[in-house]
Amino acid sequence: MGRRAAEALCPTVVTIERDQSRDMARFEPVVERIESVVPRVEIADPGRAFIPIRGAVAYYGGEQALIERIDKELDAFGDDHRLGLAAGPFAAWQAVQRTSPESRVFVVTDDDAFISQLDVSAIGSEELAATFRWLGITTLGALGELPYDAVISRFGRQGMDAHRIAHGMGRSTSPRDIPPDPGVESSFDPPIQDFEQASFIARNLAQRLIGGLAPHGMAPHRVIVTAIAADGTERVRAWRSADPFDDHTLTDRVRWQLRAWIEGVSAGIRGGISFLRLEPDDLSGSGRQLSLAEDAKEIIEMQRVLMEVQAIAGPDSVLVASPQGGRDPAQQVLWSRWGDEPVSHARDLDAPWPGSIPSPAPALVPPEPVPFVVSWVDGLPEQVRLASRWVPVLSWAGPWRSVGRWWDGESSADRYQIVTSAGAYLCEVREGKTYLLGVYD
Amino acid sequence: MVAHIESVAPVAPVEVRDRRAEEIFSLSPGQIAGLSGIPGSGLTRAGLSLIAPYASEGHLAYLDVRGWASPLMAWELGIDPERFIVIRTDDIVIWSRVVGTLLDGMRGVYAEIPRGIKDSALRTLAARARTRRTPLVFRPIAGKLPQGVVHLHLEARDVEWEGTGQGHGALIRRRTLLDASGKATRGMERTIEIEDDGTNHMRVVPNLGSQTSRRFA
Repeated sequence: MGRRAAEALCPTVVTIERDQSRDMARFEPVVERIESVVPRVEIADPGRAFIPIRGAVAYYGGEQALIERIDKELDAFGDDHRLGLAAGPFAAWQAVQRTSPESRVFVVTDDDAFISQLDVSAIGSEELAATFRWLGITTLGALGELPYDAVISRFGRQGMDAHRIAHGMGRSTSPRDIPPDPGVESSFDPPIQDFEQASFIARNLAQRLIGGLAPHGMAPHRVIVTAIAADGTERVRAWRSADPFDDHTLTDRVRWQLRAWIEGVSAGIRGGISFLRLEPDDLSGSGRQLSLAEDAKEIIEMQRVLMEVQAIAGPDSVLVASPQGGRDPAQQVLWSRWGDEPVSHARDLDAPWPGSIPSPAPALVPPEPVPFVVSWVDGLPEQVRLASRWVPVLSWAGPWRSVGRWWDGESSADRYQIVTSAGAYLCEVREGKTYLLGVYD
Repeated sequence: MVAHIESVAPVAPVEVRDRRAEEIFSLSPGQIAGLSGIPGSGLTRAGLSLIAPYASEGHLAYLDVRGWASPLMAWELGIDPERFIVIRTDDIVIWSRVVGTLLDGMRGVYAEIPRGIKDSALRTLAARARTRRTPLVFRPIAGKLPQGVVHLHLEARDVEWEGTGQGHGALIRRRTLLDASGKATRGMERTIEIEDDGTNHMRVVPNLGSQTSRRFA
């Protein structure tokens, strides 16, 4: 009901604006009570928390016993709490929505079966859900059965996320090179006791955190807020969000948390806050804030164009690459389809990789080494056959020896950079045969 | 003050020539470059370096007909891995549609041309690139580009590598001699020499436009 409609029915009604920091202050004791049973509770909003129970289940002797224990703890705050139990956060939240005042706990035994029978509106986008319904797809199970490529081709990234949800995989995280210590912290002397001052500090730290991650193209889905009181008491709270935090949303969460600690009923911080740290976790590149040089309209146009190219040439034709460790140029590139979940780095980029070919890199690298005709005299390259003619070798470097995975039956190889008047080539000699690895074009 | 002006006067023509060579070896939005030469002559890197500056503004597309394009070289040119999209197709039926679509939304396009593409298709794509103000580099796998399509035509004349010997050292630096022609050179054929050490954007070597090559392919 809207405000006007309410005032028409009841002229004396008082409208109170929603104050999430106040809500959080009231919710904090609830979280503390849950944490007395299971540590590291993650808060999504004031009133909604996710409880990772993997370790606690064994400690309390089973899921049922644990749920009963949490339920009992929450009884202290009344009987309007609900609990959903599932293998993932998405299914758990959907399970909560299946509860009722009579049955406050809903346990999902099989996430896949549970998710597959959910209405397609559970993907979170009404517009997309309406399109799916119009196409005759009414449940997440039916959506999950659609070919992945077809969904990406037709609905782009939004469709990809929906398809992933339909398979119970939740949102995606992008593996990236994460800076060694992305957390931000600040110490205060004298300690902060005033909420307004804490709000200012929260904004400052949130901006530093998000600003520090932005150059790496990352934003956090989970942030751990740690505060140390003047008397040495340490308080830790994790906040999570399905969409990555930006500086505004993160500032709000930190403010709410600080208010809950400073002004909360349980008085979690005695003598004020002397130290505050924000630590990002669960980083991803989706939905990150654009940099100044990026144009949102241009990015949307680029995505539309690449989806169209995928439709014309096939999803496997549009590729992006990311760097990874390796000795040969082909090994140093990790290909993935554009729009797909980036594949995890198979090879450590920071490992030393002895025997790797130095920079500059060849511009053309065949997907597999191709036979290359080289005339060797006394083990030294003398001529190279290019098309139908022999070209003399002017100089060469190498060999860089690659021992190979001998335990997998892989033979060793010697790599050479060979320079001719027609250009330079990277080749390898393996089991007496010469192969082309790259062309310095 | 007067003495100072006299002392710098002889240097001025060289600076003008350098600036001209750098102007030639660049692509403005909507301009098209064409590359001719065999693999190994340095043209892939030269062509990509023409559109590399646009990677700071958006995404670049590389239409890879041979299936051999390596992003390592693009990363060495300073292109962000996320902004370098490779499209692999050798299907001449869809080739023109793919390039045309890319021109609509990418900040720069490097397109290898497979055998069998008609001149009229290339002219249509060139017109589209000009309309959309997307810099475009054409690299025919075989054959030559039709007359009047490109703003800058670069033909590899010679490539010389430094750093290797008789088994020792490693490739360090490349000097590539290119014959430039087209509207960019105002109708006159010019020779430009480009130095490339694989770590940054290629740079035009000062005052070498009139030098002849020491070795020919």
